[in-house]
Amino acid sequence: MSAVPLPAADPVLEVEDLRVELRTPRGTAHVVNGLSYAVGQGETVAVVGESGSGKSVSVLAMLGLLPPRVATVTGRAVLQGEDLLTMSPERLRQVRGPGAGLVFQDPMTSLNPVLSIGKQLVEGIRAHDDVPKAVARRRAAELLGEVGLPEPDRALDRFPHELSGGMRQRVVIAIALANSPALLIADEATTALDVTVQAQIIDLVERLQADHGTGVIWITHDLGVVAGIADRVLVMYGGRCVEDGTADDVLERPAHPYTRGLLGSLPDLAAPLDPDGRVPDLATVPGLPPPPTDLPPGCVFWPRCPVRSDPRCETEQPPLVTVGPGTPGRHGHVGRVLEHRAATWYQEGTAR
Amino acid sequence: MVLIGVSLLVFSLIHLVKGDPVRLALGTRFSQETYEALQHRNGLDQPLVRQYFTWAGRALTGDLGVSFRSGDTVTSLIGERLPATLTLAFAAVLLALLIAVPLGTISALRPRSFVDRFASVISQIGISVPDFWLAIVLILVFAGTLGWLPTGGYVPLTEDPLGWIERLVLPAIAAGVVSGSVLTRFVRSSVLEAMGSDHVRTAQAKGLHGHQVFGWHVFRNALLPLVTVTGVQLAYLLSGVVVVEIVFSWPGLGQLALQAVRSRDYPVLQGAILLFALVFLVINLVVDLLYSRIDPRIRR
Amino acid sequence: MTAVPTPGGIPAAPAPGEPMVARPARPRWRETLGLLVRDRTAATAGLVLLIIIVVAIFDETFASQGPNEQDIPGRLQPPSWSHPFGTDDLGRDILSRVILGASVSLKVGFLSVGLALVVGTLIGLFAGFYGRWVDDALMRIMDVLFAFPAVLLAIAILAIRGPGTSNTIIAIAVVYVPIFARVTRASVLGVREEVYVRASRSIGASDFRLLTRHVLPNAAPPIIVQTSISLAFAVLAEAALSFLGLGTQPPNPSWGLMLAEGNEFINRAWWLAFFPGMAIVVTVLCFNLLGDGLRDVLDPRQRTLMAGGGR
Repeated sequence: MSAVPLPAADPVLEVEDLRVELRTPRGTAHVVNGLSYAVGQGETVAVVGESGSGKSVSVLAMLGLLPPRVATVTGRAVLQGEDLLTMSPERLRQVRGPGAGLVFQDPMTSLNPVLSIGKQLVEGIRAHDDVPKAVARRRAAELLGEVGLPEPDRALDRFPHELSGGMRQRVVIAIALANSPALLIADEATTALDVTVQAQIIDLVERLQADHGTGVIWITHDLGVVAGIADRVLVMYGGRCVEDGTADDVLERPAHPYTRGLLGSLPDLAAPLDPDGRVPDLATVPGLPPPPTDLPPGCVFWPRCPVRSDPRCETEQPPLVTVGPGTPGRHGHVGRVLEHRAATWYQEGTAR
Repeated sequence: MVLIGVSLLVFSLIHLVKGDPVRLALGTRFSQETYEALQHRNGLDQPLVRQYFTWAGRALTGDLGVSFRSGDTVTSLIGERLPATLTLAFAAVLLALLIAVPLGTISALRPRSFVDRFASVISQIGISVPDFWLAIVLILVFAGTLGWLPTGGYVPLTEDPLGWIERLVLPAIAAGVVSGSVLTRFVRSSVLEAMGSDHVRTAQAKGLHGHQVFGWHVFRNALLPLVTVTGVQLAYLLSGVVVVEIVFSWPGLGQLALQAVRSRDYPVLQGAILLFALVFLVINLVVDLLYSRIDPRIRR
Repeated sequence: MTAVPTPGGIPAAPAPGEPMVARPARPRWRETLGLLVRDRTAATAGLVLLIIIVVAIFDETFASQGPNEQDIPGRLQPPSWSHPFGTDDLGRDILSRVILGASVSLKVGFLSVGLALVVGTLIGLFAGFYGRWVDDALMRIMDVLFAFPAVLLAIAILAIRGPGTSNTIIAIAVVYVPIFARVTRASVLGVREEVYVRASRSIGASDFRLLTRHVLPNAAPPIIVQTSISLAFAVLAEAALSFLGLGTQPPNPSWGLMLAEGNEFINRAWWLAFFPGMAIVVTVLCFNLLGDGLRDVLDPRQRTLMAGGGR
């Protein structure tokens, strides 16, 4: 690398060689296989991939939200200087909320249907901040106002089913933000919503991010969203990072055949770009991801790969290596050049 | 709608019997006057369609005819027996809940643990044991061999509270075991289901304490459907205690109904069955109402 | 029994012109059996049931003494080598009577549930498949039957028709018809709007073909589970009705009847009531365990009416 690394602010989250194994009736599932990345302050990292690629499991694993009976998690996940994977359960509880807030995919099911919105917000606030109920309630109303819920005071006494999907997702976001987290993890947070609501939610998160300097992990399979908000993109497949880099690098100059497949830029995978040059939604790559109980010995993408140019494809997992010049970093990486890396034996020019 | 069907069916009961029900009931020795008086009093001397409306109309005002045997009104006979049956059914359900809720919850929290396996075996057997056999065994052990409790009978609470409890314990256990087993399994699966739902993950992600997650987001949600199932069990028990009542000489409706069958006292049987069906429907209605009060999704 | 599709699970060859619409995987019977065998509890229960059924069929062979052979001097003997379960108040061998009682209990159980299964499944099938007024009419009738508590409905039927084995079968069948109708209807409604059924209908497949080829096989799993569980309850119901003196009549041996007889001697001779009771418990337990095993394998999400009580 030609760039001189300059000291940058410590990242909010640093994940190193994260591995997750799940015990299933059909054998051990290797769901996440050595994932490493970092999220800087005020930075948005988009994690993309099909369902089953390990995106969600990796964040749930970090926060100890997988059933311990079933899941084995190894590696390091350092949030604000503390390793989440080795901390005590009580410390982990304290971190959930103020350390990291989570927004889940389905606003229909991620709220408790039999408790009022107010109760669900207040209990989250009071779990970390010993304030009187009335104070917590006032703060809850402010939060609801902040996420754009009309009539926040009255909304406190409403129940989830009385709100539309978009409004519920705002409530879920309000809950995630209730303790001003250093890191916000949005797991398919807008997937279930229609486009206008989606845009509003994205605006909201960007505004909050700008105000609080929150680091954001945005898990999605919607590349349109990625192009809109991400500073960096991490493409996951078969529990691994197969390509990462700045949004520009990955979306404009994809190196991995899988990424290209997703972007519809490989000719044999059809789905050309929109005429106006917009990045289309995920193109469908033929076939299914490998079952995590039975990963191929070589490149995880090999069974579906349309190019398979190298004899090593079938036998050897390609390492994640630099494939392009990279791009100067922004948020939290100012002054650094962010690498563009991919894990593939496929060595064709990356320019489109 | 269902009520009309129920009444039609209960009404036709007396007419489906082969032969003349009154004659069958009275046996061989009776005077023509008694016969006609009974026929007339129960409206059996009218044309069939009118009979139904007479019967249904009277039933609506609480008049269910008179017994072929004793000549007492059916309503008064049922009225005498109802408290005993209600007492037993409620005691059995209460007992069932007291066992099922803790046992089912612990089983769900520690799946495959000793408690879970134990509860699963016990509830499986509990569902399979005939309640009257259990009643016999209980009497044999606790009333016979150990001599701790009386073998049966009933005294009202107001007369002899201790005797009331003493006589209630064994029948309630015998009648409650099946419900207890059903409810234990239900609570277990209900808690397990609640634990797996997305909102519990949200609650954990908020950083709530374990007991908060459990109390507000698992237990509370799991118990809502329990209201319905408990109601069903109560309705089932009200009629299901018939056999247990016999074993413990418990003077309830079941015993009354069975005596009526044996002595071909059809008006009494009709009355008892109608009442049971009514109670069944009322309980379902109450459960629905109750449920809509406690579940905000249905509440308006 | 109508609800059980042909074994083998070989999909019927599509009729000429039938579109290539993906059908859901039908329950594969061999695989189902395999899974069931691997479930040790259910497999054991099935095995025990098989033994009980064989014993019940060849009851005369297994019973060492005629069921009504009396031996007054040898009455009320406790269990011994010659009478493993003891003798009753008339000196009859209890083991022999339990064995012969098995054939009565199982006969009543299988016949009543079989009857309820056929009638209930047909009703549920028609109600679910044709919908509208057919559905309304049939299901309202079922609602009425369902409004009666089970035991009482059976007692009422026996009061009308008089006690006896065949009437007991009818009484228990009537109690279970609405349950089978509801279970069947629910699964038919679930299947009816599936793409492959609509597709077949759109190309003009006959109703009969739709019902037998598509709807029934896919509605079968919950029905099969319900059958096993209903058998358990039918055996219990037979015992209860006989216990009350309304079912099987003396001197025929029936577990419920033997319990009633034994109840009178309970303080002097516990074995009179104990062994028939155990026979009921074991049989019912096995049907329940088998039903649970079947549910786990065939139909994990289904909660049957009786077991869950949820409606």
